[in-house]
Amino acid sequence: MGRRFLTAEDVRRLGGPAIAVDTDTVVTPQALEAAASLGIQIQSGGAGAYTAPTPDRGPDAERGLTNLSHLPEPGGAARGDDRGVIVTVIGKNRPGVLAEITAHLAAAGCNIHKVSQEIVEGYFHLILTVELGPSASFESVKADLEALGGPEDFVVRAMHQRVFRFMHRI
Amino acid sequence: MAPFTDNEVLDLIRMVELETLDIRTTTLGINLLDCADPDLESTCEKIYAKVVHHASKLVETADSVAADYGVPIVNKRIAVTPAALVAGASGATNLVPIAKAMDAAAKEVGVDFIAGYSAYVHKGFTRADHALFESIPEALDVTDHVCASISLASTKAGINMDATARFAQVVLDTANRTADRGGLGACKLVCFANPVEDNPFVAGAHMGIGEPETVLSVGVSGPGVVRGALSRLSPDDDLNTVAEVIKATAFKITRMGELVGRETARRLGTVFGIVDVSLAPTPAIGDSVSDILELIGVDITGAPGTTAALALLTDAVKKGGLMASSSVGGLSGAFIPVSEDQGMIEAVRKNALSLAKLEAMTTVCSVGLDMVALPGDISVDTLMGVIADELAIGMVNSKTTACRLIPVPGLGPGETVEWGGLLGTGIVQDPGRYGCAGLFRRSGRIPAPLQGYRN
Repeated sequence: MGRRFLTAEDVRRLGGPAIAVDTDTVVTPQALEAAASLGIQIQSGGAGAYTAPTPDRGPDAERGLTNLSHLPEPGGAARGDDRGVIVTVIGKNRPGVLAEITAHLAAAGCNIHKVSQEIVEGYFHLILTVELGPSASFESVKADLEALGGPEDFVVRAMHQRVFRFMHRI
Repeated sequence: MAPFTDNEVLDLIRMVELETLDIRTTTLGINLLDCADPDLESTCEKIYAKVVHHASKLVETADSVAADYGVPIVNKRIAVTPAALVAGASGATNLVPIAKAMDAAAKEVGVDFIAGYSAYVHKGFTRADHALFESIPEALDVTDHVCASISLASTKAGINMDATARFAQVVLDTANRTADRGGLGACKLVCFANPVEDNPFVAGAHMGIGEPETVLSVGVSGPGVVRGALSRLSPDDDLNTVAEVIKATAFKITRMGELVGRETARRLGTVFGIVDVSLAPTPAIGDSVSDILELIGVDITGAPGTTAALALLTDAVKKGGLMASSSVGGLSGAFIPVSEDQGMIEAVRKNALSLAKLEAMTTVCSVGLDMVALPGDISVDTLMGVIADELAIGMVNSKTTACRLIPVPGLGPGETVEWGGLLGTGIVQDPGRYGCAGLFRRSGRIPAPLQGYRN
């Protein structure tokens, strides 16, 4: 670990045509200004011009990145098992809602594992357990589905299955 | 894994859609000890650079997690190493520039608050602690996002009454400097007995010296969810059932916090710290701890039975939270910030909730006298007395207690001040006619209680 920071004061004190800093040194905005006004070049990691380093989150973070995956997921699921999506649709009943939703899911290459629908006094709720296809991204499927329906018709919500696992499984 | 039942799925949808389930805060803790410098200006440069360097992606990352998991994250905040520890090397006597550097960094990265303009003085003052005390009123006046906290007492050390007396004066000076905003500066200033080093909630958030380089912690919320669950009970269900329902609900809320915390930390590339399992109310209707107490069975918060109901609530929340996560920390319990809770504001308005009852409630909640408006002309010794009583509760019961008291300039008991936003509406409480000038005159320390000698 080398110099943590380079300040404007450091720049004025060190002077010279160039100041070499380590690749993980943070150069303050004031130091960059001072260097620019004095015509001093700040170089990191040899000869290259200074670029802000990736934040050093500390030794625990390095370990955390490798160890975190061993933290158990609720319900005994394997980590990375993130392809499951729960789609809920709530609204006024009319023909074709299920067809509309499933058509969009099929177009996105998603596999439906479970369908549950109930109608009470003209309103329905529909719950689909879906597995995202290998080429589908959660964000795009979610945006696509949630654009369907409307406040006077039905409302769609797509959520990661992981949320339900955390909340309802020990 | 068994598929989810319809009830399980709809349970979560209801919490998010109807019961204002959200994550109150994701707080990035950043160690600033390496920013110490003999030159104050350089110290400030380093603080600004380090905070921006580490937190520039915080808001974006939290927003991406919220979008992915469908649970709103209301606030993004930063907690830093107590400023007095970082400033010591500079020998500076005015530490306002540090507050300004923190404020500028908070604005640059777009967080709500940056907390840690702090000092630990429960046994005594360093030169830097003294300088920090002196500069708090100006610092909280000229900055928008900086929060200050002071440790005045602990079970191990007793109560530093000299510091408590000076703190009371600092609170008055801070309120007076921000008189045009209803004493708003004092809303960002809190003192503690037994402060926790991993608290993600402002105003008391800071990064203790036992914490890692950077750490991401989460504060959950969820009074609306507990309220919703209790409202589905019959009035004839017994208290064991009430406790079970609160526990089960706290479990679910905590798990949301754990998920959001793990995922936000992973995406930022830092470690996940703790989930603070506190029911944190907001001025929004229904998002109220007071409503929960009334659902448990008191006519109005502050009536006889309130402390017992709060004890049940706080304990059940902790138990549910501890089962849900191995990383429960911070304050974890139930918050009762008076001005931020619609039900408590109403209780004060109806003269049901007195300052004395509030103090009793703090013996069983997780924080203390929080967001309590006091008369602007309160004497410094009376204010010190209110604070010292609260610290004594924390010291003797080996728990964290805090005071966030706002003497509202120009207002007397019963009058109302609007701070707006999450800070809500303050109704000035009456501290009574009598003070404690004799206690104020005696300097010194209240020795550590017997409970502190457990080694």
